[in-house]
Amino acid sequence: SIFTPTNQIRLTNVAVVRMKRGGKRFEIACYKNKVVGWRSGVEKDLDEVLQTHSVFVNVSKGQVAKKEDLISAFGTDDQTEICKQILTKGEVQVSDKERHTQLEQMFRDIATIVADKCVNPETKRPYTVILIERAMKDIHYSVKPNKSTKQQALEVIKQLKEKMKIERAHMRLRFILPVNEGKKLKEKLKPLMKVVESEDYSQQLEIVCLIDPGCFREIDELIKKETKGRGSLEVLSLKDVEEGDEKFE
Amino acid sequence: MVLSGVDKMIRLQKNTANIRNICVLAHVDHGKTTLADCLISSNGIISSRLAGKLRYMDSREDEQVRGITMKSSAISLHYAEGHEEYLINLIDSPGHVDFSSEVSTAVRICDGCIIVVDAVEGVCPQTQAVLRQAWLENIRPVLVINKIDRLIVELKFTPQEAYSHLKNILEQINALTGTLFTSKVLEERAERETESQAKPHSEQGEQVYDWSAGLEDVDDSQLYFSPEQGNVVFTSAIDGWGFGIEHFARIYSQKIGIKKEVLLKTLWGDYYINMKAKKIMKVDQAKGKKPLFVQLILENIWSLYDAVLKKDKEKIDKIVTSLGLKIGAREARHSDPKVQINAICSQWLPISHAVLAMVCHKLPSPLDMTSERVEKLLCTGSQTFESLPPETQALKAAFMKCGSEDTAPVIIFVSKMFAVDVKALPQNKPRPLTQEEMAQRRERARQRHAEKLAAAQGQTSQGPTQDGGALETSPHEDEPRGDEPDVASVSRQPVSQEESSQEAFIAFARVFSGIARRGKKIFVLGPKYSPVDFLQRVPLGFSAPLEDLPPVPHMACCTLENLYLLMGRELEDLEEVPPGNVLGIGGLQDFVLKSATLCSLPSCPPFIPLNFEATPIVRVAVEPKHPSEMPQLVKGMKLLNQADPCVQVLIQETGEHVLVTAGEVHLQRCLDDLRERFAKIHISVSEPIIPFRETITKPPKVDMVNEEIGRQQKVAVIHQTKEEQSKIPEGIHVDSDGLITIPTPNKLATLSVRAIPLPEEVTRILEENSDLIRSMELLTSSLNEGRNTQAIHQKTQEKIWEFKGKLEKHLTGRKWRNTVDQIWSFGPRKCGPNILVSRSEDFQNSVWSGPAGRESKEASRFRDFGNSIVSGFQLATLSGPMCEEPLMGVCFVLEKWELNKCAEQGASDKQHQGQCDLAGEGQGGGKTCHVGDENQEQQDVCSEPFEETSQKGDSPVIDCYGPFSGQLIATMKEACRYALQVKPQRLMAAMYTCDIMATSDVLGRVYAVLSKREGRVLQEEMKEGTDMFIIKAVLPVAESFGFADEIRKRTSGLASPQLVFSHWEVIPSDPFWVPTTEEEYLHFGEKADSENQARKYMNAVRKRKGLYVEEKIVEHAEKQRTLSKNK
Repeated sequence: SIFTPTNQIRLTNVAVVRMKRGGKRFEIACYKNKVVGWRSGVEKDLDEVLQTHSVFVNVSKGQVAKKEDLISAFGTDDQTEICKQILTKGEVQVSDKERHTQLEQMFRDIATIVADKCVNPETKRPYTVILIERAMKDIHYSVKPNKSTKQQALEVIKQLKEKMKIERAHMRLRFILPVNEGKKLKEKLKPLMKVVESEDYSQQLEIVCLIDPGCFREIDELIKKETKGRGSLEVLSLKDVEEGDEKFE
Repeated sequence: MVLSGVDKMIRLQKNTANIRNICVLAHVDHGKTTLADCLISSNGIISSRLAGKLRYMDSREDEQVRGITMKSSAISLHYAEGHEEYLINLIDSPGHVDFSSEVSTAVRICDGCIIVVDAVEGVCPQTQAVLRQAWLENIRPVLVINKIDRLIVELKFTPQEAYSHLKNILEQINALTGTLFTSKVLEERAERETESQAKPHSEQGEQVYDWSAGLEDVDDSQLYFSPEQGNVVFTSAIDGWGFGIEHFARIYSQKIGIKKEVLLKTLWGDYYINMKAKKIMKVDQAKGKKPLFVQLILENIWSLYDAVLKKDKEKIDKIVTSLGLKIGAREARHSDPKVQINAICSQWLPISHAVLAMVCHKLPSPLDMTSERVEKLLCTGSQTFESLPPETQALKAAFMKCGSEDTAPVIIFVSKMFAVDVKALPQNKPRPLTQEEMAQRRERARQRHAEKLAAAQGQTSQGPTQDGGALETSPHEDEPRGDEPDVASVSRQPVSQEESSQEAFIAFARVFSGIARRGKKIFVLGPKYSPVDFLQRVPLGFSAPLEDLPPVPHMACCTLENLYLLMGRELEDLEEVPPGNVLGIGGLQDFVLKSATLCSLPSCPPFIPLNFEATPIVRVAVEPKHPSEMPQLVKGMKLLNQADPCVQVLIQETGEHVLVTAGEVHLQRCLDDLRERFAKIHISVSEPIIPFRETITKPPKVDMVNEEIGRQQKVAVIHQTKEEQSKIPEGIHVDSDGLITIPTPNKLATLSVRAIPLPEEVTRILEENSDLIRSMELLTSSLNEGRNTQAIHQKTQEKIWEFKGKLEKHLTGRKWRNTVDQIWSFGPRKCGPNILVSRSEDFQNSVWSGPAGRESKEASRFRDFGNSIVSGFQLATLSGPMCEEPLMGVCFVLEKWELNKCAEQGASDKQHQGQCDLAGEGQGGGKTCHVGDENQEQQDVCSEPFEETSQKGDSPVIDCYGPFSGQLIATMKEACRYALQVKPQRLMAAMYTCDIMATSDVLGRVYAVLSKREGRVLQEEMKEGTDMFIIKAVLPVAESFGFADEIRKRTSGLASPQLVFSHWEVIPSDPFWVPTTEEEYLHFGEKADSENQARKYMNAVRKRKGLYVEEKIVEHAEKQRTLSKNK
């Protein structure tokens, strides 16, 4: 046929799922925004997913797959059964709304993680998720769909620090060090500790301090190496935050 | 033009007997502010033409826009009657329910009040409320029936109808006063009875029971409003007229020749006049005689209105001349009849005269304060006056005397703080410049100009090479120059640019005794201060200077700095304020939060707290639009808290800033204030976050259509189980009774965990004793470390045993045998309402005694890993599988715990594990993430836990899955989660108890609102002596947003709820429920479209947290909008 705008039919509401099997490519025509739902088990009605139960070689051209090909590839000619197989195993075009909800979900997740890990250093109180979300939008953070949300959350914290007063909640640690190595070690630990809350030199050197959770491993290794396993380290609290409600008076 | 200047006011202030402190109270829109306007115009502060339109007391912009008053504000007026000159401190108050706290602040510092009632609307809810408030504060009311003109113009009543209507209103109000009176008498009686019961032997002689309730014995004739007593005035504030009976009585006694006293008694009431006999007779209904009030008063007014509205020129002129008035040509010719009426009536029956005369005659002066009121003010709570220290009792005399001598103690009560723009303070007001100053300025300007020229020349001569440098320096040079005029202006008005944006707080106060002088040292006593405290701490007759006093809680000492006369929007500086006056005090914001008592003697008790009709209930979370503006917001909220008597501000543990206000309108005002005055930032307002808890229940016996489970054919049962199986990954074994067996990733250990719901009682006990559990935890941890802890406090030990005993009492039955002894830990955070029980045979550990069997090697091996198990449990309880909310009332039983041989070696790396365990435990604060390897996380190398090979591992235990302890934690957590998931899970909602006071006629609507919001009524009872019902109900917190407002709207303000958090309650519906049996299909349909409350909540939380929600992105595939591309 002549390729003119009038007799050109566009597939506007079709999401194609493709699968290669036995050297042949098979396609099925599905509704948009429905395939991911089917895969996650939310959608249970097949008719809500499939436009038609027939299997195609090329959906946009309307070429239906031949019976022999189907039997050779799938071992059956039950179109519905094959459709189900293709639906679960084939490659999907992710539709706009599906992508949007996924990104939105990740965005929320990141914000939740950030809000959970961080505090306002002035008040030692957490920020709310909504506020973090807004801050993330302010710095134009874009979610990367193939990176874990936790990893991205740590990135976000770094970026947010430039814009607002936010800090990771400090860990409270207690070191118990043998006295002779204690002094030396303390000097080395000093740059890593944020706040030293108490020091006690009785039989052993006992220090309670706040650190940035990022340097925990470093401190841990340092102590282990320097004291050859005789010093010990104890996490008193993972997050140093204010508890309870506060009323302004 | 201000007719009565400040000097005159100051003079009048000294004559205490002629001071009247009054406030205007009424329902919203009954004309308080208009009435105030009329009174103000009589003093010439505003034009009488504008009176009623200007609303002078509404100084805020939003008050003017909305047309309602939002704050109470005071103005001092002057009124002369004959030779007597009176000073009237008038306080206008808001009528809207949301601002009833402002009414309380006004009522406290007054001696009398004007109750305004709309002649058309009659008694309204707020009328009742304000009457009650006035009653509770023991202040005397007078009545103004306003808007009489509406009866004529709008309702087109005949005078006779109007009379009966007015009579009706008066009866309603008197009935109200009556109920207040009876309830008080009954209360007193009840009190007396309890007292006499306390000492039953003292009055044995009195055997006869007194049934009369004492009502008959108490005189109540003074209480009621009636025109013949002169405490009722009929007005039309908008038209500027008003009259009392007395006015007409005086006129007609001359005209008709009947004694004034007789007329006073008969003008109101069913009397008529027999003109021929010049006799006043009782009305005989049959003869259709008009009462005096109609005949002599109302008909005249009606005919005047009639004439003006019909534009009957002749008649108007006749009336005007007969009344002997002079109407200006402008008004007479004016086309708007309103203007003419105003002009005529305000001369004929001036409203200010009628009202102010009544105020001066009927309301008490500060000198006449009743001793009853004084005692009530001084006795907080259940204290009786006699129980106060003698020094305090002595103050009563000072109150009563209200003396102005220097020896009299100064007592001032601050009822609220209000914010004023610093620029509006009198000392900062720009005053006209004198000639000299003008000359100086001119000179300075000339100099500046010359300098600038010189600088410019210098710059050009420096040449282009130094251009950059010159540019850089020039602003520096400019700066001091630019400052010069500023410095000069500072000397003129001490407000620098920076300060001009600030708010100054002024205390709204009244002097009860003594003279408040500028510079006087005074004690500021907070609401919680107790003079007993002071007298104990400070030896009697101390002579040390005030600064050396030992610190006493809730007391501070300060100097009175600025005293102001409150004139509505204006403030006037004062040097001293004699007793009995209302005043503003500046410079107290650091000492007084909302209200306080100021006294020169520390023995004064603080006044009883203000009695708020509305408590704050509307909660919203507030956040700055830009996250960096947090400090401004906090500062602004603090200021707002100070400026508003009723608002509550708090920061929650979640980091939310919550604003609690009395109602929607109040909220709006608070937000406006925050945005424009206090914080000056953009803020966003949202519903506060609502917490939930997760729990499990016993399997239900009946299904959703109340059929017994197990009998019917389960239609979809196969589908369901298949799905459930798919949730649990391979390698995990699930018993039919919910025992989960799960190996660690390296297959070295296997855990078997079961979840059991705890009885409700046990959960409650655990909740109540969380502090005790925490201290127990501290104790055991210090024991474990082997440190020599101080012997356990005897009391704590006792408490622990008591707690244990309680638990044992409630955990009975076969299932729970020995459970209490086997309790290993509590969670989350080691003190929560969930229990970990260890039933593993070869390992015993209990919270009660610390780890048992320390010696055996076998046990020590287990013990080393025990901490990991506990950490796993802590994590599992902190965030449940449904929506990552904490668990509640779940018991996890560790049934079996197997360690393979090679795990033994793991113990060698004990040091390392110790850390990990602790790291894991600490995670108590953390949430969803896999704790497993905190170390990895710390490094910010976020990879999947357990996959990275640990670098430091020289021990074989640290394999490709990470350290063994970490694996244990994760495995335990997973095990707990799965154990939960195989049981019927339920969501728990936080519940408010809700006390609602409602009149009987709106009871139905209250119930409707409650049931719409899933509320449940617990009880309902009638308050004795009134027609109010008290309803007790519970309501989920999740449904409470907007509840208070809705209930108020639906009941037109006749019911007001109060919400207090009470408990957690299991939501009965299963969030994962789908119909399975045939009946259920029949009832709910295949998709179960009908609302599942638990699922709704769960999904909302999951969505908020960014968790996966089982929801279709698009419900109907065919109903999507088809968008074509490239077209």
